[in-house]
This record gives sequence, structure tokens and C-alpha cells, in this order.
Amino acid sequence: MIKISNLTFRYKDGRKNALDNINLSINKGDFLGITGTSGAGKTSLTYAINGVIPHHYNGDYYGSVRIEGEDTFDTSPSALSLKIGSVFQDIDTQLVSSVVEDEILYGLENFSVPAVEIEQRISSALEAVGISSLRYRSIESLSGGQKQKVALAAILALRPKILLLDEPTSELDPESSVQFYRILRELNENHGITIIVVEQKIMLLSEFAKNILVMDTGKIVINGSVREVIDRSSLLEEIGINCPRVTSLSNRLKEEGVYTGSVCINVEEAEKMVRSIIDD
Amino acid sequence: MRSFFDYIPGNSFLHRLNPLSRIFLSFMISIACFSSKSHLFLLLMILLNLVLAALAGILNRGMELLKNLSKFSVFIFVLQVLFVRRGEVLLEMPFNIIITEDGISTAIIIVLRLIGATMPLALMLSITQMNDLSNILVVKLKIPYKYAFAFTTALRFIPIFASEMSAIIEAQVSRGVQLDTKNIFKKTRLILPLCLPLLITSMKKIEGSAISAEIRGFYLRTGESCYRKYFINWNDVGVLLFAVILFISAVFSNNIKL
Amino acid sequence: MIRLQNVCFNYDRDRTLTDISFHINKGEFAAIIGANGAGKSTLCRLLNGLLKPSSGSVEINGLDTGHTKSSVLARQIGFLFQNPDRQICRNTVAEEILFGLELLYKDREFIAERLEKVLSMFGFSAEDNPFNLSRGERQRLALASLIAVEPEILILDEPTTGLDYKECIEIMEIVREMNKKGTTVIMVCHDMEVVLDYAERVLVLSGGKLIADGETRSVFCMNDVLEQASLIPPQMASLAGRLGSGFEDVFTVEEMTELILEKSNEKRRVEV
Repeated sequence: MIKISNLTFRYKDGRKNALDNINLSINKGDFLGITGTSGAGKTSLTYAINGVIPHHYNGDYYGSVRIEGEDTFDTSPSALSLKIGSVFQDIDTQLVSSVVEDEILYGLENFSVPAVEIEQRISSALEAVGISSLRYRSIESLSGGQKQKVALAAILALRPKILLLDEPTSELDPESSVQFYRILRELNENHGITIIVVEQKIMLLSEFAKNILVMDTGKIVINGSVREVIDRSSLLEEIGINCPRVTSLSNRLKEEGVYTGSVCINVEEAEKMVRSIIDD
Repeated sequence: MRSFFDYIPGNSFLHRLNPLSRIFLSFMISIACFSSKSHLFLLLMILLNLVLAALAGILNRGMELLKNLSKFSVFIFVLQVLFVRRGEVLLEMPFNIIITEDGISTAIIIVLRLIGATMPLALMLSITQMNDLSNILVVKLKIPYKYAFAFTTALRFIPIFASEMSAIIEAQVSRGVQLDTKNIFKKTRLILPLCLPLLITSMKKIEGSAISAEIRGFYLRTGESCYRKYFINWNDVGVLLFAVILFISAVFSNNIKL
Repeated sequence: MIRLQNVCFNYDRDRTLTDISFHINKGEFAAIIGANGAGKSTLCRLLNGLLKPSSGSVEINGLDTGHTKSSVLARQIGFLFQNPDRQICRNTVAEEILFGLELLYKDREFIAERLEKVLSMFGFSAEDNPFNLSRGERQRLALASLIAVEPEILILDEPTTGLDYKECIEIMEIVREMNKKGTTVIMVCHDMEVVLDYAERVLVLSGGKLIADGETRSVFCMNDVLEQASLIPPQMASLAGRLGSGFEDVFTVEEMTELILEKSNEKRRVEV
């Protein structure tokens, strides 16, 4: 679905490559989490996928990004937005309207969606993220978490095949972050939307993503299933990525020689592990 | 932080009007205020603004606006009184400062005009959604969408910048910059260096905004993209007539001596 | 040192606090936790006088914040915000640090000495342009210019949001260092693991009310409180909770490992 080959990019005036020889393919139906320290190139990678690089930011660009065979170099970000919906980090700059309904309408109007379809698109998008009750509210009166959901609904109404999100929960508390990820999972599992999400909190990724991609200094360091990636916790910690505490626990117990199973990625698994060690 | 033109949802008579009629009415009130030299007429216009605000269910916003404009008006009033030196002298003060009857009379008119002409625009924006505004500009007034979008985006950014500025002030006060002083000159001098952080954040936000419009099909939009249809009905016709009558009476108000 | 008595705040319908009382002694390290909108940031702003209570009183070293300007309180309280870009307003690292120092002190020699000290403590080069630094480095710079004036109290409002783990630890280690030297620290933080690792005391806010106040570990054992405040407990605490009896008072990976080893040895011994 997405194929990136030998992609290298350096921003104009940049001192080093923001993206350094990236090779990556993302399949339909994937739920990919991208993580890494700040300055690792995560946001640049999302820009390369939705065409903001090279169309909005200039610089040295080598290699290619293809979305369903279409090269992003030859397609404008507006045209790419028919396939890829993006939600950025700074929510205030993203919302263009004063009322929730208008926010959803904005993209639909741009796409010239036929009038007969519009009502259905708006209501189903609001329903999908569970904010039907906010439809006529003014955006100014919403909390950060609600705005985040409005931004997501506005993108979903455009029916993208791919959803690209850059740290969507950076302003949310842990409980609201989990709620937001539940919505993403539901979109991925029941609507077949491919999800690519940049996330610092690896705990959320290990719980919700299918695959994780770890970046460092513009390069891909590890790319694999959640378990494959978490399994290499010592490498992650070396890069500066914090593994879940339960992962550290299972690694410690392995070192001590009392546990031989696979690495734990959540509390449920850790409980099972501990019981297998201490219970009869 | 809220600004004076954040949209306030509602379902009043004024909310339901065609946005074009609303824009027309507010501009006509403004123009009427600038055309009239009658104290009474200008006072009536301010009253009309409050009545309209009450009709739209936003009387609180109207009163708040009036209060803030009045504060600002005190400055304008003082300046005006001091600068006009024509007419009968009412009071002589040291440093060759004189206060004249003309000075006071023109100062009152200017202040009333300022309030009467600013209020309708802010009130109109309070009950008009950004999308309606840009749609009207594009569909009815044939302004290219790019410019209409830039205009509504600028309006949308005012409260964002205002809240950014107050966050910057908070941060600076907390480190000991005396922005919480009551001395207005000192405050102005202290605020200037803060333009750097505001500028940096603003540039980032504007860029972010441009990118996010672009990736939601901004360049795919055509003149026919507008989903909402705006009909003119008898209410609109009534409002348009009322606006024209206001303007005419403004012109006549200059000939009536009270 | 910090004393709140029956503090209410209700000027603003989005930000209300009801009847909050507590006091924090010199040298404590306290965390304020709660969901978005629980009133954490409002409480922080009441502590340094940016907001004034509608009723009740906030006292800092005997000064009533209701009658003291924040810019005066700045000598005693350093306030680190989430976004360093709102604080940084000078073109070089050294100027930025000097800016804060010169606001509060006059003695040139003293100022120069403090500047040197902070530059070497943080490893900054004086002539760097702050806007070429990374987000994490800018946050460190913001902290550096606060620490330069050596405040008695540090308030941190979500200082690590938007930072990666490494940057977060860097900031927190400096704060811990300051705390050891006697600085009182009050921090708002969403990351319960960080709270557990650094704070000695936790204040839990929910819906504008203080629903719990106590030693960090004991608060993380109060499941009903955490649930009411929509907080997710640290992983080791919830694991210990699931494992039940015999696992009380286990909060870190080290403690958990030790206990499990002990239990598995016991089991082996029994088997033998």
C-alpha cells in the first residue's frame, strides 16, 4: 500500500539528514506505531508519506515514496489527501471552523462530496469517534481531548484508506489517551483503515499497535511486530526509549534464570508470568 | 481565553438570517454612525446594538464589549479634549492646556461613533460562523476562495494569539518581569521584548495551519464546493430595508437641532 | 512554607477549585496528580499568585499571595511551564539566563558568578542561539534560567510533556538534585512512573477537589481514589494489586524481582 525506497531527505538549511536511507513498506490493514527520541525523524517521515515533504518543505530529496503506486513527488498533498488522512500534533492550528459540524464539513466541501451524501458522512464520522452530542457546539468551548476527537472525525468523514497521526495524545491524560487509542483500534479492526501513528509512549503502542518502527537519527533501527521490538529492550533503552516496567521485570527475571518464556508487554501477561514462577 | 468574536451558537431570529443580511446590517449601522453628528442618534445606535445583542441572546457579550470599548474611549476622549482648541474656553489650566466647549462636544461624538460603529461588527462576527462568512464572500461577493480563507483564518487566529500572549505574559511574570504593574507605560516597555516569543510561536502556528488546510484538500476546492445554500426570505428583505432606513435617518439626523 | 487554607477558585467556569487546604514544608517533593481538567494547573497558578483565590488564603513564607504580585513572588518561586518557548525571549543562552538574574539582582559580580555556575552545571555554551536547540534542550534552558536565581520553591507544570524519556530523565534528575539541596518542589505530572520515582508526597485532584493527600506509595495503594480521579496506577503497583496478598508494598521493578526470587527460592526449598 505504501512503499518507501531509499528515501533520504535533508531540510533546506538543515545540518544533517532528517531522513536517512529509509526503506519501508506498509501493508493494508496494518496498525503501525512509529517511535523514537525527539529529533529522530518521526514527524519528517509522516510528512514524507502525506506529501508535505517535498511539496511544502524544500530540501534535498532522494528516493521515492509510493502510495498505491502513485509517487508522492508528482502528486500534490491535496490530491494525496483523498487517500491519506492526517492528524497533526498542534490541534489549535488544525481546526479551521468555529463549530464542530462546520469542521467536518470543511474537507467534504473541498472534496466536492455530493450534497445528498454529506449528512450521512457527517453523522457517521461523529458517531465513529463518539461525539455525536457535540455536533452543534462551538469548538472554542471544547476540551483538548474533545478537540482531538473532532480533528479525527473531520478526517474520517473523508473516508481515507490510511490514517496518519502525529502524537495525537500528547496533550491528553493517560485515561483519555487510552480511550483515543481504543477508537483507533476499532477503526483499524472493523473498518479496515490502515493506521500509522507516531507515539512517544511505548506503553500505548505495545498495547494497541500491531507493528512498531523505531527510529534514531533519521534511520530505521528496528521494524517488526510489537513483541519482536519490545524483546530488544536493551537496544531500546540504549537509544533512550523507555520500555514498559513489566518488560524490564520479565527481562530481569530471565537474567536471574527463573523465567524462560517470552517477554511481557502488559500487566496481564506479567501476572501470568509471576504466577507461573511462584505458584505450584 | 475567549475573544470578542468567538462564535456563540444560537437559534435566534438573527442567527437564522442570511449571513449576507447580517453583514449588510452591521456595516450599515457602522456607516450610519460615521454619517451622523447627532448625539441623540448615536446614543440610539448604541442602544440599538444592545437590543440586537439581546435579540441574538448575547446581551452579556454586548455589555462586555460596551464596557471594554468605554475603557478605551476614555483615552480617546482625553486626547480629543486636549487637542481641540477651538470654541468657547471652559477651563484654563497650567502649561497652556485649555478645555473648550467644542473640544468636549467633538470628543463625545467621536467616542459615541467609535462605540456605535465597532459594536455591530463584533456582534455580527459573534453570531456568524467562519464557514458561512467565507462561503458568502466566495459565493455571493465572488471573492476568490483563497483570500476568503485567509481572511477567516486571520480572524480565527486572533483568539489563539491572544491566549498565546497571555500564556507568555504568565511565564514572564512568573520569572519576575513586572508585567503585573498598573503603570501602563512601564507595562508597554516591558511587553515589547516579548514579541520575539510570540512571533516564533505565531510563525509555527501559521505554517501548521497552512499545511493542515492543504492536506484536507484545500487546492481541490472549486466555487461550487459550497454545501450550504443561503436563501433570501422576507425576514432578510425586512432587515435590508431597515438597514437602508437607518442610513437615511443618520443623514437626516444632522439636520435636526436638539 | 506553603500554606493553603480553604482555598476556592471560581472566577472561571472551566477552572474551579473547591475548599482546598494543605501545607507543604521546606524541602518536600510533592506531585499534584489528576485527570485533564481536574484543576492541577489552576492550583499551580494560585501558588505563585498568577491567580488569586476567590476565598480562603494562600501563604508563601508568610506572604499572602492575594496581596503580593507574582513578579515579587518570583524571587522565591521558580515556575517551569510546559512550553519553554513562552519563557525564552533572548537570542543567546547566556543572555536568556542573565535576563532572569538581572530582573531580581543588582550585584554584577554575583550575577556573573551565578551565570558561570549554571552554564557549567547544565553544560550549555553561552553563545548558542536558543531557537537552534531541540525542544528538550530549550526546556533545560528554561529550567536553567529559573535555577540561576536559586528559588526556594520550584513549581513544575507538566515539565516533561512533549519530551522523550531521556530528556525527561535529564530534567527530573536536575530537579531531584535541587531538591536534595533543600529546594521545595511541587510538580504536576501525568506520568505515574515518574511520580513514583521522584515524588515523596502526592496530592490527588478530581473535579476541583483535593481527594487524597499522602505519602506517594500509600496513595498509589488507594484504588478507589485512583479510580475516582481516572488515574492509571504505575505498572508495578497494579501488578502487585493483581497478585494480591504477599505483594503489598511492592512498587519498583527491583523490589518486585527480589520478592519473586525470594518466593521462588522458597518454593524450590519446599519442593526439595
